This record gives sequence, structure tokens and C-alpha cells, in this order.
Amino acid sequence: MTTATLEKPATAAPSLAPSAQSSRPMVPKAACLLMGLDLGTNKSCVLAGGPGSSDITVSKVVPSVVGYVKDGIVDGIITGNAKVLFGEEALRQMLHVELAVPLAEGVITHPEAARDFMLHLRQLADPSGRSEIRAVVGVPANAGEQAREAIRRAATGVFSHILLIPEPFLAALGYRDDARVRQPGYVDPVVNSLFIDIGGGTSDLCLVQGYFPTREDQISIPFAGDAIDALIFDGLNRTYPNNGLSLITVREIKEAHAYVGPSRKPLEVKVVIGGKSRTLELGEAIGNACNALIDKIYPALTALIASASSDSVVTLLQNIIVTGGGSQIRGIDTVLQKKLADDGYESPTVRLAGQDFQRYVAMGALKAARAARENQWQVLLG
Amino acid sequence: MGRIYRRICFLRFEGRGAEATQIEFTELKDAVDVAKMGSPSIPEADSILRRLLEEEGERVADAVAFAEAIVPYLPGQMAAAGPALSPLASGNSMGLKAGLRPSGDARSVADFIDDMLAQDRPRAR
Repeated sequence: MTTATLEKPATAAPSLAPSAQSSRPMVPKAACLLMGLDLGTNKSCVLAGGPGSSDITVSKVVPSVVGYVKDGIVDGIITGNAKVLFGEEALRQMLHVELAVPLAEGVITHPEAARDFMLHLRQLADPSGRSEIRAVVGVPANAGEQAREAIRRAATGVFSHILLIPEPFLAALGYRDDARVRQPGYVDPVVNSLFIDIGGGTSDLCLVQGYFPTREDQISIPFAGDAIDALIFDGLNRTYPNNGLSLITVREIKEAHAYVGPSRKPLEVKVVIGGKSRTLELGEAIGNACNALIDKIYPALTALIASASSDSVVTLLQNIIVTGGGSQIRGIDTVLQKKLADDGYESPTVRLAGQDFQRYVAMGALKAARAARENQWQVLLG
Repeated sequence: MGRIYRRICFLRFEGRGAEATQIEFTELKDAVDVAKMGSPSIPEADSILRRLLEEEGERVADAVAFAEAIVPYLPGQMAAAGPALSPLASGNSMGLKAGLRPSGDARSVADFIDDMLAQDRPRAR
């Protein structure tokens, strides 16, 4: 079953159209607010703003987690005695809640939590709850119809209109500096670039060459931040059995120390185990786990380069951009660049997207929302 | 108005009923309202418009029938005419990747979205 769109009659049809018998579309009557949403496996980013302006009124990055408060929690422990918590608040109260993660590998796996999470994001963007919200939502490159339908279902009744666009393209759009597009010397990433968006659940690679990427231009690999966490966790347990560290702590360690390339030793990390402070040597565990990411994405990178036309490939090689949380892994740009150079590619340049790495997809989504034509939106009937 | 209605008919032929309905109740309705306002007699305007829409519907039906008849012959004819005329010459079934566009700036973001929706269509059916 697919999400219902525009099927229920709402008002009288124009009298003259011979086939007029269904509904009037949801022409905005309330204030319309546009939302760009990067629904990530670990972190989500929401940007919002009005149509017809470039202002961003809301910009938030929220851990993609929902906490359902356990029964029997004493009054006052949870602020406002809330029953459901989100993001940082849910993590802070993890002792008192059942944590639910809406997505795995970039795809909704917990529909109720996904819906609650979307309602929360809507609330962040429109605290009054009165606006009509139109959202452009990023989806992993090559996301199947089932994954897309899961997003549409979760969004039904939350947003009035939706448009799903692959994340790497949105990243390119978000990364593009619109003010400089006409300036001489500015290299427009939308014209010729290769984006590597390393998130929590998937690593998405995409050729962006001035047209909308085809399926062949995009590769999505189900190996990213979460898989690295799991490898570090396993490595840690092999070296330090029964250490008791949770995956959340391991993720924090990764975010602080992740690197690729030659082994970095000593890499000593202080942790608290059983109430006692200990120093662990994690150079090998972290290096092995992060280098596994290189092993996964490098063949995809070279496959996409090989598919680019010979006219474009030289410029393309100078516009390889790494974004997403994975761009924070130390050395990822230089290691990929060196591998390409060692393999004989012509003057490759791999760059990091920069400090807004968590926001580029949502920025691109908001730009797309502002540019979308009326007939490009999908109307969600809740 | 005829152009808008032809678009609606084509969308319905393509199975994109929701989009067709959306245009019907926005663009077409607005155009009908404007046409009625400019007419001295509402019944007369209704009659003219109804005839116009019926004619446009028939034109689209004829065009679709013609296309169905001629499409099987086109690839052979175009191949015989040389690669420059063949939309499949680039080897890309979408016909989108014939080469780099001169500038991303020349195309609006909405055009990119159109490309995306065109790619999604076969998958959605």
C-alpha cells in the first residue's frame, strides 16, 4: 500500500473540466513554512524558513533518538513529566527511558519512533503548530521505493507536502555558495564534482555533473559510522574483555580520535570502567575500524570516476568532496587523495566540506524546497 | 487554457492522476475563472469552454494513439538517419547524460527536480 495523495474530495470541482471529480489540492491557507530535513541514522538536521526568502529561521542538529519514559518514574524527574523525550534530552535521561532509534542504515526501521521524531522536528521548526509545513527530506542514494514509502508514511499528518531527494545531491546543493556561482574562478560543485557523504548508516557517493544524478551516478554503501563503532567495540572487547563500555561511549571515543592511514600509536584514551579511571591503548582498534571504511568506499569512488566522461574527469578529480560525520575522521581526505595519486589518477584533490558538514544536506533540502514548483510536491493526506 | 488541459490529459495518460488533479484545481480553475470573467454570458462561456476542453481531450487521445503506432518504427528510422538524431546514441536510456551541461547555473534547481521526478517515474509504476 502506498501513501494516499490527493484522493479525498474537499471542495467543489471546477464546473467545466469534463473529468473533474476529485479533490482540490492543499493550497496553502495557513502560513507556509519550508523545511529542509536530513534524517540521519545518528543525527538529524532540520533547517526551516519561509518561502520567497533566503532566511533560515531554525537550524538544529538533533541526535536521531526517541526516549519513551518508563512506567513508574517519580514525578518531577522528567521535566514537565513528559512521556516522550527526544535527542540530547532522551540521551541525558537514558536511565529513565526506553531508547528507540528510528533509522538504521539510513532507512526507517521503527515507524512509530520515526513519526514521533518527525513530529518533534516539526515542533522545533514551528512551535505554534499552526503553519503548513512543506518538507524536502534527504534519502540515501539509491533508496528503494519501500524506504521512500516508509518516510512518506511517517511524514503523513506531520507535513502537508513532501519531496524526497537523494542526500548526496542535496549535499552538493547545500555546499554550493550561491553568492559566488557567477563569480569567475568559482568552481560550482553542482557542475562537476564527486561527493562522498559518510553518515551513520550509509556512505553515499555521487557524481554531480550539472544534471540530476542518475542511479548509475550514485552508490550507497551500508558501511559508515555505525559499522565503525561496531568494529571498534569488537576490537576493544578483544583487547580489554569485559570492559563494560557501551556503544554510545565507543561512539564518543571514535568522534574524538578517529583516523585513517598508518597506525597511530600510542593513542591512549582515558575511560571510566567500574567507577575507576583507566587508560586504554586504542590506536590499533580505531585505525583498523576506520581504515575498513577506506577499503569500502575506495572501489566505489574509482568506479564512479571511471563512469565519468573523459571530457569531465580531469576537472572532476579536482573536486572530490567529503562530507557528513565521516569527514571528521582525521586524514580521510589525504589518504583518499594519496590512494588516487598512487593509482595514477591525474592530480586528484580531495577536500573536506568543512565545519557545516552536519548541515549541508539540510541546507540543500531547504534550497530545493524554496525552488520546487507547485506540481513537484507530493501532497500528503493525513 | 488548451495548453493546460492538454498537460492534464497527458498526465492522466501517464498514470499521474494526483499531479493532473492538482493542476486541474489550480492552474486550470484559475484560467477558467479568468475566461468566464471576460465573457458577457456565463452559459455561453460554459458552452464554449466545454467544447474547447472536449476538443483538447480528443487531440491528446489522437496524439497518444498516433505515438503508440509510430514509436515502434522510430528507433530504426533514427538509427538509419545517423547517430546525431538518435536519442539513444549516448548509451544512456534517460537521455540525460549526453554530456556535461555547459553550466549548472544555466539550470534551475527546479529543473534538477524535474530530472529526478522523471527518473523516479518508471520506478513508481
